[in-house]
Amino acid sequence: MTAAIGHTSILLALALALWGLMAPILAARTQRRGLFTSIWLAIGGQFVLVTLASLSLIYALVTTDFSIKYVAFNTTRATAIYYRVTGLWGALEGSLLLWEWILIIFSALVAWNYRNRLQEFMPWVLMVFSVISAFFLSVIAFASNPFDPIFPVPADGRGLNPLLEDANMITHPPLLYTGFVGLTVPYAFAMAALILGKLDEAWIVTTRRWTITAWFFLTMGNLVGAWWSYHVLGWGGYWAWDPVENAAFMPWLPATAFLHSIQVQERRHMLKVWNLSLIIIAFSLTIFGTFLTRSGILSSIHAFSSGPVGIFFLSFLAFVLLGSFGLLAYRADRLRGQPELDSVVCRESTLLCNNVVLVSALFTIFLGTIFPLISEAVAGVQVSVGAPYFNVVTAPLFLLLVFLMGVGPLIAWRKASWDNLRRNFLWPAAASLLLALVLFIWRVRDFLPLLGFTLPAFVVFTILFDTALALRARRRIAGEGLIAALATLTRRNQRRYGGFIVHLGFVLLVLGIAGSMSYSVEREATLQVGEQLSVGRYRIQFEGLKGSEQPTHFRVEGSFRLFNEGYEVGVLSPALKFFPTQQAPVGRAVFRSTLLEDIYLILSGFSELSQNQATLKVLVRPLMAWIWLGGFVMALGTLVAIWPVRRMREEEG
Amino acid sequence: MKGRSRRFIIGALIILAALSYLIYTGMREAVVYFVTPSELKAQEGRSKDRFLRLGGMVVQGSLQKDLKSLTYRFQITDGVETVPVFFRGVPPDLFSEGKGAVVEGRFGEDGLFHATTIMAKHAEEYSPPKEGKPAYPHSFVPGQGEKRP
Repeated sequence: MTAAIGHTSILLALALALWGLMAPILAARTQRRGLFTSIWLAIGGQFVLVTLASLSLIYALVTTDFSIKYVAFNTTRATAIYYRVTGLWGALEGSLLLWEWILIIFSALVAWNYRNRLQEFMPWVLMVFSVISAFFLSVIAFASNPFDPIFPVPADGRGLNPLLEDANMITHPPLLYTGFVGLTVPYAFAMAALILGKLDEAWIVTTRRWTITAWFFLTMGNLVGAWWSYHVLGWGGYWAWDPVENAAFMPWLPATAFLHSIQVQERRHMLKVWNLSLIIIAFSLTIFGTFLTRSGILSSIHAFSSGPVGIFFLSFLAFVLLGSFGLLAYRADRLRGQPELDSVVCRESTLLCNNVVLVSALFTIFLGTIFPLISEAVAGVQVSVGAPYFNVVTAPLFLLLVFLMGVGPLIAWRKASWDNLRRNFLWPAAASLLLALVLFIWRVRDFLPLLGFTLPAFVVFTILFDTALALRARRRIAGEGLIAALATLTRRNQRRYGGFIVHLGFVLLVLGIAGSMSYSVEREATLQVGEQLSVGRYRIQFEGLKGSEQPTHFRVEGSFRLFNEGYEVGVLSPALKFFPTQQAPVGRAVFRSTLLEDIYLILSGFSELSQNQATLKVLVRPLMAWIWLGGFVMALGTLVAIWPVRRMREEEG
Repeated sequence: MKGRSRRFIIGALIILAALSYLIYTGMREAVVYFVTPSELKAQEGRSKDRFLRLGGMVVQGSLQKDLKSLTYRFQITDGVETVPVFFRGVPPDLFSEGKGAVVEGRFGEDGLFHATTIMAKHAEEYSPPKEGKPAYPHSFVPGQGEKRP
């Protein structure tokens, strides 16, 4: 019954989506009012139907309706209720439905938000949404149906991969999907602008907030993924440059580039083609990412089992790229004759450099990700591209990005005079050089880590310096105190100060990455009960093993007493979890975090018979906590930038 | 206008050159070729001291481990050729005799493949528990393990 409701809703929604993609064309031809209205109704109808389908699947998961194959494969009677719900995105079929659901929620929000505005744009915007929705609905209906029955109905389900039974499972996939889908909004407006030939800044200004929102979710999705990897996967790392991680990260790069370059278009009416291309690429990459993950062409920890879905996504990707760039070429004549750069040293060129760096990073990561495919197809040689490639290539690019981050916000538009440069950068640059010198004398002797610490500091100095000047001016003009002045400044220029906070968060993150990449220590040993292992300032004493039966698994836990420079810190208990459905145990690492460094313990093995021996892996990773702290600050900054403040609008105009 | 486009082209070329150099150095360091034991034997001369990935089956009965020093010796085969492997560290949980494994490292002068990483092949699907064969260590009865020194 549930399955019937769900499947029927999907088919009806597909019919509406097909209507939604035809109606604008008919409406434009005939100019009939009813046809225009029907476009809105098509979106609203899809919203209701897809929501109904998603709720049906959630209901089936929660009530463990094992007559549905998807439910039988992704939940068990023992599964806790919230993990039953997260089963919605635990495997391919459900996660596609979730994607479609988020997409149609976004479409409905856009349709509702602009129900009385932008009447020229909206039919085409909603048409683009319907095209994408029609694609996802046909995949769900014909290639990966989450409502497929199973016969005979099993007594109990198989359950999620135990690695997925984690609190982050509740947030990581939906955040990421929301980020991906959010990019559809600027993309749809960009396409509408191309279709209409209205290529001024309207589409950019309209979608700015949507884009920042999408970027927020994309950033958080990736960071939560990194956090999950660090604290659950138990290898001590947070980013493996796994193809699927790359797939999730790649759209972030053009999206970030886009957020920066649209400022140039808003201000100077330049870079029109570039901005359109960036948003097309960003959107295409979300489809490409799904293709990469779901087609099984690359093996990865995240990959679901393969199926016919890959070819659907590849075809749609080709359609999107050809259609979008074709439209861009068709409108090429309206995109000519833009103003050019006045000078090499100015805000525009800094933002342009930022774009070049981000797109270069995208290109190199893309190349590294698909290189094994190219190599196998062209030369028939199986290769893999390891994490060192990505580290070597992206490290200089990201450091350059951090440098630009220090320069960009403070340099003048059009042409920066010597005076402007000296006034804004003399003190921050001097302070950074001094810091570099101190670090060098202290112990940081390698080039990349030195830059990795100095450049973030440069950004922090420029931001503090600029804010301090602005605060002083406020005090002089309005006589405001520190806090009041800060509040006024932020309220008056949300984007600038929100951006500053995001930049601060980003450099903290870079600081954490630089520290943890450059100065990690790793030790591994087999210990008898009572034996000790020293790692740097730490000593770890093995206290014993303990086994316990848990509701879903059997848990073996090792107790390790930790001493920091001789002082006892506490007992850490990394564990191995043995799930009856799994061939191998799942590790549960334990770590202790301070602002200075993390100490991370992994139980890699133990002697089953004598139970007095354990193999322990210990990692000491400096400055790790700053990565997560930086993430929080970035989130905060994004919220400051997009927080709806009514007064803002009046002052801006 | 002409000067501008020339400057643009020069700038683009410099960026491309820098990027190519970055990619080249990165690839040289990190592209790992995948070989089977037969391929490794066939190109023995060239394979020496190159970073490789060797994939195959862990030969039944070949695994010798020393837990104290964390060293493992075993053989990897593709059914035709067999390569002895030496590894120091902790292999992944799924690593065992008769199972597929991929090892990463260098084939040394001593005729041993010195692995720095072992990757065990995961089963594609998560299999339900087999009858009467619990996956967890059955000697580990709850409560018994709580030995404190």
